[in-house]
Amino acid sequence: MKQYITRRVGYSLLSLFLLSLTIFLFVRVTGDPTTLLLEPGASEEDIVNMRHQFGLDQPLWVQYGLFVKSFLTGDFGNSFYYRSPVVDLYFERLPNSLLLASVAMVLSLLIGIPSGVLAAVRVGGFWDSAGKVFTLLGLSLPSFFIGLVLILFFTVYLGWLPSSGAGTAAHLIMPAFTLGWYFAAAHMRLTRSSMLEVLGSEYVKLARLKGLPEAMVIGKHAFKNALIPVITLAGINLVVMINVAVVVETVFAWPGIGRLLYEGISFRDFPVVQAVVVIGGSMIIVVNLLVDILYALIDPRIRLES
Amino acid sequence: MAQNTELTRRSLMALSALGIVASARNAVAADGQLTWGVHVSLAPTWFDPAETPGIITPFMLMYALHDAMVKPMPGNGAEPCLAEKFKAAADGLSYEFTVRAGAKFHNGDPVTAEDVKFSFERYRGTSAQMMKERVAKVEAPDDRTVRFVLKEPWPDFITFYSSATGAGWIVPKKYVEKVGEDGFKKAPIGAGPYRFVSFTPGVSLVLEAFDDYWRKKPTVKRLLLKVIPEEATRLAALKRGEVDIAYSIRGELAEELRATPGLTLKSVVLQAPFWIYFADQWDEKSPWHDQRVREATRYAIDYKAISDALTLGFSPITNSMIPNGFEFYWQPPPATYNPEKAKKLLAEAGHGKGFDAGDYYCDSSYANVAEAVINYLQEAGIRVKLRPLERAAFYSGYSQKKLKNLIQGASGAFGNAATRLAAFVVKDGAYCYGNYPDIDELYAKQESELDVAKRTEILHRIQQMVHEKSMYAPIWQLAFLNGVGKRVGESGFGLVKGNAYSAPYEDVTIKK
Repeated sequence: MKQYITRRVGYSLLSLFLLSLTIFLFVRVTGDPTTLLLEPGASEEDIVNMRHQFGLDQPLWVQYGLFVKSFLTGDFGNSFYYRSPVVDLYFERLPNSLLLASVAMVLSLLIGIPSGVLAAVRVGGFWDSAGKVFTLLGLSLPSFFIGLVLILFFTVYLGWLPSSGAGTAAHLIMPAFTLGWYFAAAHMRLTRSSMLEVLGSEYVKLARLKGLPEAMVIGKHAFKNALIPVITLAGINLVVMINVAVVVETVFAWPGIGRLLYEGISFRDFPVVQAVVVIGGSMIIVVNLLVDILYALIDPRIRLES
Repeated sequence: MAQNTELTRRSLMALSALGIVASARNAVAADGQLTWGVHVSLAPTWFDPAETPGIITPFMLMYALHDAMVKPMPGNGAEPCLAEKFKAAADGLSYEFTVRAGAKFHNGDPVTAEDVKFSFERYRGTSAQMMKERVAKVEAPDDRTVRFVLKEPWPDFITFYSSATGAGWIVPKKYVEKVGEDGFKKAPIGAGPYRFVSFTPGVSLVLEAFDDYWRKKPTVKRLLLKVIPEEATRLAALKRGEVDIAYSIRGELAEELRATPGLTLKSVVLQAPFWIYFADQWDEKSPWHDQRVREATRYAIDYKAISDALTLGFSPITNSMIPNGFEFYWQPPPATYNPEKAKKLLAEAGHGKGFDAGDYYCDSSYANVAEAVINYLQEAGIRVKLRPLERAAFYSGYSQKKLKNLIQGASGAFGNAATRLAAFVVKDGAYCYGNYPDIDELYAKQESELDVAKRTEILHRIQQMVHEKSMYAPIWQLAFLNGVGKRVGESGFGLVKGNAYSAPYEDVTIKK
């Protein structure tokens, strides 16, 4: 078990190193941030000063070393655009992203799980087809389109909800729905397939043979077991929702981490992009590591195989 | 029908129970408050004039929170504000300012000469190094007198002190020293018409009228600047009345805004001319070396039609690569669209059947302008290939002289006609692919000329030569389009020439 955990931690650290190196090089391939932070025609002196101030005049390996050091010390440097510590910017936005992601997750589960169960127990029927259409729409309609249609309908025509911003429950409804719908589709699909697998299993057949009412077979015996992979996916999706709701947060001017990333990319704010990607990536790596370890604890075959 | 009503009523009741409708309604602006839908995220660095970068955006906040000794105001590009008056010494080696009596900071402290000296010495924004290299010392002999002593005469000192940098914007020395740099950004105090109330990063900035502002008591009690990065959302917020003014509404959305009853489209002409630069004009083997070909290009393009199509006609055709609001600006004759003359000139230059003119480089975010230009060039027989480059790659290629043939450039940098010529026309300029010795000679002459009239004459002559030689084919001066709601009396757009935003804020009003 110790060897298994050591190996998994090693893989995680390797993933983190590769992620940090990739994002470090990737942002720099996009070009020189001074061209976006200064007007074209700015003096050479200003450009040189700004590059020096941001440490962009140093060799790449020195810049990477400083980035790794800043990550290890939890500092992340100063934003080029905001001129303030990235870590402050991140933690100012994190509560908003957590709130949006939590509400969107609840919505996605409230929509995805019941419709997935319904689709599974009525395979080939109306609810199954309706669920598939719903899934297709949720996955294929771009978030910015859904967002703008919602704003047009609920803000411009009906005047019920504020178009953008944060601060009240009303501000949360449209962005949470837009974000939740995409993930509801994934949750619905997984619930359906998982339910179908469980409904075909021996113990469900036995329950039916025992004469249990169908509602109890589905609700008590099948549903509980079918839910395990859905919850695992939801956990990972929650981390994703916190970090990558870029489009939704931009359309609705929601001040979360996704918008911070959008601003970072827009202004080639290297420290911001690096921090958001590495922190987000770390969250996903840590969640996966914990899941791996938990699986190994629960299922001895995994650790023995390793 | 009855069912629909019932559904709506039920939904309303449900939403009301959550306090949702109530809060949405509360979001609509209250009396005495105007709300802006701002297109960019507001950065705390903009609360501090010491960090003014070389872009115009921070001035959106500086005109509210702070005040400058001398700054661009309605009808005057360098109006004394916190300075009651200023004068240059006859030898051009010093400038003396008298601090305005009665001018106060938001904490009630008077603005003093020490604050002016401190603000200049603390300044670290755009062109800071250049300014400090040229200024030998700043003296504050008494509370109301400040003297800037220069190392040698510098005719552009006032341009840089008043508008091209943030060095002339004054912060309270005592307060900054007390709270420190970070503390100042968290709770900035200035001498502007509005005081800081609160800032929620990524969401909004709230400002409150400063009744003791020296120029006048602001008429609007509160300003709320809400960050809404998405353009369509800003327009929706304006239509709904959540914001009173929405910055930057372009293209089809601007058309929609113009067609919406109760809303007004307001344009501001930025100090950002666009142009085509003939990068090969010094290469004798290139067709662009022939002045007739360059002139033909200028005649071949219908600039007004492009402005009509892309910016609803709000981008003026100034026919110059210098912004028309700049000091020492010379107005060239109007641009003429004459495709026949273009073809005739091409025929005279030996290109009667047209010619392959190479590449047309542009910043990809303005590829729509380039496409329109290229269509006109093709019609005249000038066949070019569009080469849109991502903004950073474009400007880096442009400044490193890696582009060729035709370059569609633009600049919104601060300064005056002389500073623009230095970057784009004169030998060794950052964006110059070649030079003309007669222009360089004149440029050197004006650099040490202290007589404003004589200097103006020289700079006008240089601009005339740039025009006559067809060094550039100027396209337009870009307009910034904004939406104004029905509650707004005076929006402040266009009052200060070249300023993209509402300013001065103390002149902004709500309709009665």
